[in-house]
Amino acid sequence: MTSIEQQSSSSAQENGLAIINSKAPFSSTHGKDALDIALIFGSFEQKVSLFFQGDGVYQLIADQDGSLLAIKDYLKTFSAFEFYDIEDIYVCQQSLSNRQLDENFHIDEVKVLSSIEFSAALNRHQHVLRF
Amino acid sequence: MKTLAVVVTTPPYSHLTITALTYVEAALVAGINVIGVFFYQDGVMHANEDISIASDEYQAIAHWQRLQQEYQLPLHICITAAEKRGIACDAIDNDKINNAFTVSGLGELVELTTKATRLVQF
Repeated sequence: MTSIEQQSSSSAQENGLAIINSKAPFSSTHGKDALDIALIFGSFEQKVSLFFQGDGVYQLIADQDGSLLAIKDYLKTFSAFEFYDIEDIYVCQQSLSNRQLDENFHIDEVKVLSSIEFSAALNRHQHVLRF
Repeated sequence: MKTLAVVVTTPPYSHLTITALTYVEAALVAGINVIGVFFYQDGVMHANEDISIASDEYQAIAHWQRLQQEYQLPLHICITAAEKRGIACDAIDNDKINNAFTVSGLGELVELTTKATRLVQF
């Protein structure tokens, strides 16, 4: 059995909400709006997974400082994910390499997935929101 | 029974909202149990009483109002997103908010998501 088949065979268990982050962190409020939803789901003890794809991968890159742009640096809050039991954080490897970004993230526990693994992981969720 | 919840993030003057409305109405006409619409980001602008769209253009707000009345469809706006956009939600008998809409928080989105068989975002 391939790893993809194994993943889809466990599809019934995972469920919950997947939030896809597809926008760069500081040009719009999409990232912060998505984060607010993730934290609310976490505080209600509902299962939520985060997916970073396209320009959304920039939200995970280390050593950024929104305050230089007078923007409240919501990325710092990512370090609180474990307190909200948000453990499933996935990033698209293809999106990283297209942007020549290293896997240098500002939080731990980020799982780098190929496009196929990424879509398989997404498919395990009952609901999807995209920002 | 299968249930549907809808998230709207586009404002009343966006053409994308027309797709959302057409979808929700089609679901209601088909007898699907639509348990609520949650308005987030610019979607909260639907509840703004001061918005006036030229009469020969699509009247998204009036259509939401009609669906709410005909089908008792719950329309929730996110309070944080609304206040950020100048729709003050604090006073009782608030004349800034269209009375077809209910002021809610993200907790309502959690509620809708956990109850719904399917969640669709526009």
